[in-house]
Amino acid sequence: MSVRLERGVVHLVGDCVVEDAEALIDLLQAAPGRAVDLGAAGALHAAVVQVLLALAPPFLGEPEDDFTRLWVLPALRRAASHQSVIG
Amino acid sequence: MDDLLEQFLLEGRELVQQAADDLLALERSPKDAARLDSLFRAVHTLKGSVGLFELVPMAQALHAAEDALAALRAGSWAPGADGFRALLACMAACQEWIEDFALAGALPATAATVSAGLVAALRQAPPAAAAWLAPLQAGAGEALAKAWAAGQQVVALRYVPRADCFFLGEDPLALARSVPALLALELRGQAPWDGTASDPYRCNLVLELLSAAPAEALQRLFRFVADQVTLVPLQAATAAPVSSPVMPREDAATAGSLRVDAAKVDALVDLVGELAVAKNALTHLLAAAEAGTAVAQAFAVQRLELETLVGRLHRAAMELRLTPLARTLRRFPLMVRGLAAQLGKTVAFEVEGDQLEADRVVVDGIAEPLLHLLRNALDHGIELPAQRLAAGKPAVGTVRLLAQPDGERLRISVADDGAGMDPARLRQVALARGLASADVLADMDDASSLDLIFLPGFSSAGAVTDISGRGVGMDAVRSAVQALGGRLQVASTPGGGTTFTLSLPQSLSLTAVVTVSAGGERFGVPLQVVAETLSLPAASVHPLRDGEAFVWRGQTVPLLRLAALLGRQVQPRGGGACKVLVVRVAGHPVGLEVDAVRDWLNLAMRPPTGLLAQMRGVLGTALLGDGRVLLVLDIAGLLA
Repeated sequence: MSVRLERGVVHLVGDCVVEDAEALIDLLQAAPGRAVDLGAAGALHAAVVQVLLALAPPFLGEPEDDFTRLWVLPALRRAASHQSVIG
Repeated sequence: MDDLLEQFLLEGRELVQQAADDLLALERSPKDAARLDSLFRAVHTLKGSVGLFELVPMAQALHAAEDALAALRAGSWAPGADGFRALLACMAACQEWIEDFALAGALPATAATVSAGLVAALRQAPPAAAAWLAPLQAGAGEALAKAWAAGQQVVALRYVPRADCFFLGEDPLALARSVPALLALELRGQAPWDGTASDPYRCNLVLELLSAAPAEALQRLFRFVADQVTLVPLQAATAAPVSSPVMPREDAATAGSLRVDAAKVDALVDLVGELAVAKNALTHLLAAAEAGTAVAQAFAVQRLELETLVGRLHRAAMELRLTPLARTLRRFPLMVRGLAAQLGKTVAFEVEGDQLEADRVVVDGIAEPLLHLLRNALDHGIELPAQRLAAGKPAVGTVRLLAQPDGERLRISVADDGAGMDPARLRQVALARGLASADVLADMDDASSLDLIFLPGFSSAGAVTDISGRGVGMDAVRSAVQALGGRLQVASTPGGGTTFTLSLPQSLSLTAVVTVSAGGERFGVPLQVVAETLSLPAASVHPLRDGEAFVWRGQTVPLLRLAALLGRQVQPRGGGACKVLVVRVAGHPVGLEVDAVRDWLNLAMRPPTGLLAQMRGVLGTALLGDGRVLLVLDIAGLLA
């Protein structure tokens, strides 16, 4: 299980695969404003990242995985701030 | 004319030319960054100055062109033939609009439609594709700067995965992860998110990235999704922000030179002429001075020196009027291209020798004749590609404009490798149009037959076309060349092509002329022979034998009425003063009475031609500023 809900925060743990996207959507749509903790996240599948892009939840944690930490999370944050500006 | 407008027209023309030159050069060597910079500057500056006037359609077209060029500079657009065509069409339209604006003070009614078409053509390819590059580069900031500082090649990549890629087991992000030397990554949606991510298995992602890896490595990496990827190699040189203020151009052509109003140069030339006249007066004073005295000798020496200096000054002033042929020739490549396209022909146009200089009047004056010769070459000379191939020629025709120095003169030829002219056919046309009798034509050799095209009313075109059938015949072209003191000749080989050769004076020898009126007309008298102009009281005129005379500087000088010499009606003298020109003929002063002494001018004189050549007492003709022809009199000839 790479998508978990703990104390109101969604945790992505380890590598997330395409199927995780659906579970992530369910958790985020169940309670809008829910944060996602990426601290333990490994490689994220594009489908998972797409959900994060679309729903733009608050992000917590610094991913262990280099690529996710250095490139994916900053891109998500930029996209989210951009969305809030235009939205 | 309003200064601002005048400046705009002057600069506008140059900028359009510069842009067109740069475009044509870039088309040949697209990697020429200096040309691209120059092109961008020209369009940018032009757009800026257009904004000062009511030229909205022109501004819009230039705006679109500038956007396209920005994309080109950012490396996000490689204009194909269509792109260059759109840009060139924009410059051609601007060229016309500037002239329309100069003439009418406004753009023609069609401008808005033309502009809309240009904007559509220019917007088609580049800017949409380019939009992603700038933010990506801006976001990469330091990493990008470092890569460039290290001399690395940077590639931008945009990956728009197929909507069903997740079902195919693809992970676009995994591909991005494997990109070596990643410098930037941006993620966004293809379509705006609706806030629900309703279908998580439908890919709506766009990935944009920069990498310092070789383009080939990225191509290999993305080879299975090559159709979804745009790869753009960036160049450090072109990546500088384009919004920096445009610096005034200081290339080799303008550095160390000065733009001077033509009228000021002319004023200087006129002053030098006046100085020459003042110097002439010294000659007469010297004659009056007691010969042989020490003062007279010293005076003679000084006069000689003055004469040399005035001569040099005159030459130097005339050189100011010299201007490169490029001023006229550089506008032709764009025009030839447009015409060829209009005619469905492919033509290679070569210009050589446009750095040669000639008097401004000559350089400006050859524009129309050359334009017409080029139109003719394209319309009647160069055949359609299919015809050329059938005749065993390359499909692409060649038109060559070559300028060469020829002693004191300048030779400019316009040569095409087209169909050439058939002398027999020319004779038939001349006969059919009643331009020459059958007898004359029967005896005519082929070389003379070619000259038939210069007869008024001769046009060998089967149909009047848009291009050259504008009612301007070759006769008009020849007279335009002759008006500049030039000659126009033609040589042609049927099937091999036609060459028109213009021989032109490089510098106009201006003749200082006093204009006078006599018998109700205006004439010119060369200043060289004029010793003085007098206002003589009627009472000072004495009858002398069957003529009249007056006393001038202690000499009795015969007084002649110019009108009478010219065989015109002589008005009875009024009670006032007589206007008299004292001229020297074979060393002797003679008074010429005229109705009025008008002004004196520096004119480009040409020898009399045709009927005038047989008239006694005519030195030549000169064109006045208002377009009238002034007869310049040969006084000695008149009195002989």
